Amino acid sequence: MTDVQVRTTTTLEVGGMGHSVKRKEDPRFIRGKGEYIDDLNLPGQLWMDIVRSPYAHAKILGIDASEALKIPGVLAVVTGADLEKAGLHWMPTLAGDKQMVLPTHTVMYQAQEVAAVVATDRYIAADGVAAVLVDYEPLPVIVDPKKALEPGAQVLRPDRGPEKANNHIWHWESGDRAAADAALAKADVRVAEDIYIPRIHVASIETCGCIADWDAVNGHLTLHMTSQAPHAIRTVLALVSGLPEHKIRVKTHDIGGGFGGKVPVYPGYVLAVVASLTTGKPVKWIEDRSENLQADSFARDYHIHAELGATKEGRITSLKVKTIADHGYTDAAADPSKFPAGLFNVITGSYDFPDAFVEVDGVYTNKPPGGVAYRCSFRVTEAVHAIERMVDILAHEIGKDPAQLRMENFIQPEQFPYKTPTGWEYDSGNYPVALRKAMDMIGYEDLRREQAEKRARGELMGIGISSFTEIVGAGPSHTFDILGIKMFDSCEIRVHPTGKVMARIGVQTQGQGHETTFAQIIAEELGFPVADIAIEYGDTDTAPYGLGTYASRSTPVAGAATAIAARKIRDKARLLAAHLLEANPDDLEWGSGAFSVKGSPDKKKTIQEIAFAAYTNHPQGMEAGLEAVDYYDPPNLTFPFGSYICVVDIDRGTGQVKVRRFVAVDDCGNIINPMIVDGQIHGGLTMGFAPALYEEIAYDELGNNLNGTFMDYLLPTAVETPAWETGKTITPSPHHPIGAKGVGESATVGAPPAIANAVVDALWHLGVRNIDIPMTPQKVWRILNEKGVAL
Amino acid sequence: MHFEGTVAIAASRQKTWAFLMDPTQVGSCGPGVESIEVVDETHFRARAKVGIGFISARFVMQMEMAELDAPSHATILAHGQAPGSAVDATAHMALRDGDAPGTTVMDWSADVNISGTLASVGARLIQGTAEKMIGQTFACIRTKLEA
Repeated sequence: MTDVQVRTTTTLEVGGMGHSVKRKEDPRFIRGKGEYIDDLNLPGQLWMDIVRSPYAHAKILGIDASEALKIPGVLAVVTGADLEKAGLHWMPTLAGDKQMVLPTHTVMYQAQEVAAVVATDRYIAADGVAAVLVDYEPLPVIVDPKKALEPGAQVLRPDRGPEKANNHIWHWESGDRAAADAALAKADVRVAEDIYIPRIHVASIETCGCIADWDAVNGHLTLHMTSQAPHAIRTVLALVSGLPEHKIRVKTHDIGGGFGGKVPVYPGYVLAVVASLTTGKPVKWIEDRSENLQADSFARDYHIHAELGATKEGRITSLKVKTIADHGYTDAAADPSKFPAGLFNVITGSYDFPDAFVEVDGVYTNKPPGGVAYRCSFRVTEAVHAIERMVDILAHEIGKDPAQLRMENFIQPEQFPYKTPTGWEYDSGNYPVALRKAMDMIGYEDLRREQAEKRARGELMGIGISSFTEIVGAGPSHTFDILGIKMFDSCEIRVHPTGKVMARIGVQTQGQGHETTFAQIIAEELGFPVADIAIEYGDTDTAPYGLGTYASRSTPVAGAATAIAARKIRDKARLLAAHLLEANPDDLEWGSGAFSVKGSPDKKKTIQEIAFAAYTNHPQGMEAGLEAVDYYDPPNLTFPFGSYICVVDIDRGTGQVKVRRFVAVDDCGNIINPMIVDGQIHGGLTMGFAPALYEEIAYDELGNNLNGTFMDYLLPTAVETPAWETGKTITPSPHHPIGAKGVGESATVGAPPAIANAVVDALWHLGVRNIDIPMTPQKVWRILNEKGVAL
Repeated sequence: MHFEGTVAIAASRQKTWAFLMDPTQVGSCGPGVESIEVVDETHFRARAKVGIGFISARFVMQMEMAELDAPSHATILAHGQAPGSAVDATAHMALRDGDAPGTTVMDWSADVNISGTLASVGARLIQGTAEKMIGQTFACIRTKLEA
C-alpha cells in the first residue's frame, strides 16, 4: 500500500481518528461467537416455509392445502385470501409503490410467494410446502422492459386503475434538455453508445430471515431480523399492521452481509409476523439460497443510451442520457422519495460538463422487484459505469490517451465547491492528483509501451482507467426522505461515573466495523480510550431513531451526529472542569483528553475526573450526568472519489480476461481507521470485479431466473480475485464535522468500468467499441472469433 | 423449447396408432413414470419422477389427447406440476406408411415450457436432459411395437 500520512491527534492507546485500531467486534467473529439470526431460537418456536410460484405470470385458480394440513406438525397454511380478510395482502414499498404480501389472483414473477406453511419443525414445514397444490393458469410473460413499453403491451399492474393502463411507472429527468441538445448539435465530435448494466444480486452469505415473537399477554411484538434499517422497519410495520409503534421492537443481531439487499421489507417478514399473531408463538423464517437468489430484490438492470459531445481536441461539452430502468413487477427500491432513479444524475462524474441532461423511465416487467442499491449509493454504479465508458470511447475515437483526456476534462481543485449541470454541489476534490498517483503506482507510461509491443506481436493487453466521483451520505432533510421520514441520523452518548462510555447509534453495522470506528470518533473528540467505549445499535427499544446503513451514509450522517454529540458533552465537561478548577470556562483549553488552565498546563482535569464529578460533584444549578444526543441533518452530501487503473490480458484461446494488476487510489476525506478503510476497499473492489467479469441474473423468455444457485451465479473466491494495490489521497469534506466522506461503496462503484475499459482497450484496434458486463469468456471469445483473432 | 424428429417403426400404422392411443401402453414408455390413471378416453393423469442434474421432482401430469384423426394425426396437450416447478407442453404427431410394407414413419414435434425451480436450477442441463428423455421414450416405443 502506498500511503499518505494519516493525521492523528491522539495516542495509539486512546485510538482516535487515523489509528488502525483492531476491530473490537472481531474477537467474537473469529471465535465463532457472532450471533446471526439463524443462531437464535426461542422457546416454543415454530417454523415457516413458503410456497413459491413456478410461473413468472399466472392466474391462481385455486389453492388446496388439505393434503398439507394432514401432515402431522403442519399447523397452518396462510394464503392471500386469508390476508385479504385483514387487508394485509398488499403492503407499501419504500418507494411508495405497493407489493403483494401474498397474491390473491395473479402471480407476477417466478418464485413469488404464494402461501406460507407454519409447522413445528423446519423440515415438516418444507414437506407442507411440497404438499400444497396450487392450480395455475399461465399468462403471457414480459421479460424485456422495452417490450413492456410497446403500445398494446399487456398491462401487468391493472390494480393501478384505468388511468394507468400501461407498464410505465415514472419518468424522471434532470438537467437542461434544450441546452444539452444545442451543445450536442454544435459539437465537433459526438459519440453514442448503448450500455446495459445487468441485474445482479447482492448474494450476501447470510440470507434473509426473522423470528416474529408476538406476546399476546402484553400486546407486544418483537421482530428479530436481518435488517439494515430497523427503525424504518418498525415504522412500516406499525403502519401496515396497525399495531402501536411503542409495542413493536425490532432487533437486529449480527448481520452476515447486507449490501442493500437487507433494506427492503420482504413478504416473508410480514408473513412471519402474521403467523406469530395467529399462533401466539414465535415463528422463524429463514430463506434458503435459491429463494434468496430468485425472490429477493435485485440491483441494477439499467438500459442506458448515452451520447457525449466534444470539441475535436477532446474538450467535452455535453452529455445526454436516456435510460430504461427495469423494476420488475413493483418499484420496491429504497430510493429517497424525490429520487426514483436514485442519484443517477451524478452521471456527469468527475468532469466539467457545461451542459447535461439525463432522463430515466421506470418500467414494470414479470421479474422480482429491482432497484436495490447494491453497495452503491442509489444508482451511482450505473452512472459511473456509463460516464467512464463514454469518456473512454471518446478518447479512443479521437485518438487521445484516456488518461490525458481525463486530465484535460477534470473539474479542477480550485473549482470546488462545484455545481454540476444536474444540480449537485460537489464539496471537495482533487481529481488530477489522484489519477497521477494511480498512474505512478502502476507505471502507466511503461505499460502503454508494453501494450504497443505486445499488440505488434498479436497479444491482447488492455489498460483501463476509472476516475469516479461518488455521492454519499443521504441526506439533507430538505431534499431527502423515505416515505416522508427525513434522512437524518443519530447518536446518543452516555458517560458513566467511572469514565466509561456507552454510545448508541441510529445506523446498523453489517460488517463495516461501527463498534470500532464510532468509538474512535468519540475517542478523538473526548479523549476516552477506544477500549472504554461501547457502541450499541440495532435495537429499536434503545437506539435513537435512524434511517439505517446503506448508501455509505453511516459515517457522513451518524458519524457526524456522533462527533456533534461528543462535542455537546465536551461543552458540558468544560463547565464541570471550570467548577473543579475554580476557573473561568473561557480560560480553559482542551487537549489530550483534559481541560487545563491556559498558561498553567499542570492545572488540569482529565475527562475521566470530569465524568466522575458529573455524578458526584457537579455545581449547584447544573443537571447531573454527562450525556448528549444529536440528530444530525447534513447540509450536503459528501463526494468521495478515486482513480483506478486496471491491466488485463486476454487469452485468445479461451476469451478469458485476466486482471494482471489493479491499482486503486481512493480519497474518502479524513480517515477514521486506515485499516478498516483498506478492508472496505478490498471488499468493494472484489464486489466490483465480480459483476465486471462474472455476475448476472438472467431470465429466459418464460421469466425463469437462470441463476438460482451458486452453481450458476458465480461469485469470485480468493482464487479468482486479483491482488489489489491500494493508495490514497486525502481531501477532507469541508462541511462534515470530522471532514470524513464515507468509503464503503467507492470501490464497488469505481471498479467495473476500469475493468470494462481495460478489456475494450485491448480490443479497440479490432473494431470493438463496447462490451457489456459481465465480460465472460464466452462473450469475449465470440467477439475474438468474429474478429478473426481467436486461436 | 422446441423439439422435433422422425422415427421409423417396424409396425403397421394401425398397430402403432392403437399403441400410442393407449395411455397405459405409451405411458409405460415415459421416463420415470410411476403410475398412470385413465380419466376418460382422451384424458389421463400420470405421476412421474424427473431428474435434471442434481435435482429431481415428482410431477403430476394431466394429459389430453386432442385433435385426433385416426390413424394419422394427433395433438397431445400436457400440463404438469411439481413443488415449485411446472411443465406445459404441446406435441403433434403425424403417422404415415413407411416404404416397406407394414412399417410406419412418425413425424413429431413438441413445444415444451419448463417453469420454476427445475428451469432455474437446471437451466443449462434441460435441453440435453430433455433430448435424452425423448430418445429413451421413442426407443421404448419402438422396442415394444416391434417385439
